[in-house]
Amino acid sequence: MKKYYDIVIVGSGAGGGTVAQSLIPLKEKGLKIAVLEQGPHFPHSFFTQREIEMMRLFRFNGAWPVKSGEITIAAGQGVGGSTLMYTGVSFRLPESVVKEWNVPGLTMDDLTPRFERIERDIHVIQPSETMVNDNNRIFKKGCEKLGWPVKKIPINVKNCEQVGFCNLGCCSGSKQGTLEVQLPEAIQSGIDLIPNCEVVQLSEKKLHAKIHNVPPGTLEGKWPPGKITIHSDIIVLAAGSPGTSGLLLKSGFQQYLPRIGRDITLHPAMTLYGVYPKPIVNYRGFPKTYYTDQFSNSHGYYIETAFYYPFVSSRHMGLWGKDLSEIMSRYNQLMTVLVLNHDTIRKENRITLDRKGNVQVHYQLTGTVIESLCHAQIQAARLFFEAGCEHVIIPCASSPVIPRNKQKELEELIQTKYFISVKTPVSSAHPQGGCAMGRDPDSSVTNSWGQVHGFPWLFVADSGLFPNSAHVNPYLTVMALADRVADKIKKKLQLNDETCFQSFS
Amino acid sequence: MYKCQYIKGHRLKTILAAANCIIPEYAGLSRGGTLETAAVVDWAIDQMTRELRLQFLIFISIVHVSGIFFGGRPFYKLSYTDQIRQLKWMESSPLKAFRMGFMGLKSYICMGYFSRERIWSDIQYHGPIVYDQPASDIIIRKLCQGKLKVWS
Repeated sequence: MKKYYDIVIVGSGAGGGTVAQSLIPLKEKGLKIAVLEQGPHFPHSFFTQREIEMMRLFRFNGAWPVKSGEITIAAGQGVGGSTLMYTGVSFRLPESVVKEWNVPGLTMDDLTPRFERIERDIHVIQPSETMVNDNNRIFKKGCEKLGWPVKKIPINVKNCEQVGFCNLGCCSGSKQGTLEVQLPEAIQSGIDLIPNCEVVQLSEKKLHAKIHNVPPGTLEGKWPPGKITIHSDIIVLAAGSPGTSGLLLKSGFQQYLPRIGRDITLHPAMTLYGVYPKPIVNYRGFPKTYYTDQFSNSHGYYIETAFYYPFVSSRHMGLWGKDLSEIMSRYNQLMTVLVLNHDTIRKENRITLDRKGNVQVHYQLTGTVIESLCHAQIQAARLFFEAGCEHVIIPCASSPVIPRNKQKELEELIQTKYFISVKTPVSSAHPQGGCAMGRDPDSSVTNSWGQVHGFPWLFVADSGLFPNSAHVNPYLTVMALADRVADKIKKKLQLNDETCFQSFS
Repeated sequence: MYKCQYIKGHRLKTILAAANCIIPEYAGLSRGGTLETAAVVDWAIDQMTRELRLQFLIFISIVHVSGIFFGGRPFYKLSYTDQIRQLKWMESSPLKAFRMGFMGLKSYICMGYFSRERIWSDIQYHGPIVYDQPASDIIIRKLCQGKLKVWS
């Protein structure tokens, strides 16, 4: 089967969905545009709030380790990408990071109006007091007792019923990800959405793809299963950092652009638990409303509130045997936080292909990151005790369950020597880089507008563009950069004006 | 009726013994090593990529035979103390492959145990608000609800 389009977008997450929405004016001028998504199109009725059934929202069912096994990556797979299963955290890219990135033309003056418009569009709010559940309330109390700044997390929800299952897909549609906002608008305008479409290779203005069978309980696409070649004058890659780099590597672009797959960061994260003396029922209400940046500048991490379901919690704790049974028997008393490290690029960390052509993420935790994560565990333990917890569960401790009467010995009990790679549970939900923006092909993959160096028909519009860590949860930044990519495409076509539109159609 | 496809024979015995070590009967929780846990693990193995499935099944067999070094017998025939000793060694082994294997084994056993609704009441987890939302895969729903008899 062959298809012809003017613009094809590969991926429907924060980047792909936003590009599609921003290109609606071109659709209205008569251009043919399609969004290809590797995963299925889940209806709201699919989201059953059961973690084992919702494994399907995640790439490799949520079991996607980096090559070293040190970190497990969680990435969404379906229409909406990772906005399907994120919590709706919508931080703006900090100005200090924009300066650190030093990408020509990428300034706060350019980004701020985009952030403002996107925030209005996806309904970013400061959570109200009625959204603050017990876990968040005692987090705030603990931070205040320690004298740490405690700030509200901006989230993008509308008419949220606060059922607490954001990370398993939002069955009410309150979470305003691309599945709810950008993609419906794009589809309404006539842009084609093609789910279950795996792009296997890219060549000059051409994509080779496979349409897979429609999984049970998901929505049918337009095209029948089978192989397909799609011709398009402009191609936008927004398959997520590993996916986009992987596709470019599979397609041989590294011979022209040696930085493909390089300059990656993951935001290594640890979920930590304290046992509160009475039930706090963290699994109801909105999971994330507060964070502290007390140690952001000094030690490179944020501490955010968090919540996870029983199986994932049991995996994060790094416990087994009697300790696990005892702590899990008090599951509804667990106070939970997430530590998010601002890692930085290293030449050893990169995206490659294995012998079979599968995407592999190579990532080694450095001594600096491990020190930062251990420091974070000490501070999180202090926070748990100040909040009123009786015990804390700290993977990098001589004995991972620390009782309250040992709170003065935290620095002796929690040390980097107890960090054992793979055994110590570290995860990532924010793969970034691999197609970094920059000045030239020797040091980057795209220009500051996401246009791939030397390939004027090819763009990248996802977190792969980040030249280094964003420090904060990246979704709003991805959307703002994707909006810039769409602007560049619109400008490119307008420059050629009528001739261009004729040739494209 | 659910018939396990992958967890049978020595693998079933190994999974049951390992599950009893990872989630022992303690603090009001029942032991992990039951056919019901094994059945959910079996279902999850079926969802894996072929390559991961092969690695996981091989690792279970490695746990089985490695018991020889920790008490001269297959893992499931070791004393409980020796089983714990073997798993602790694997968890902190100098060989990363053992550490990764142990983490995979532990994860799938925890999935098999904590996904089951009977366990939710033991841990005071009230489960989904949309409890009756139909499942796209009725097998795993029924397994987790204890509505399918398991045969291995």
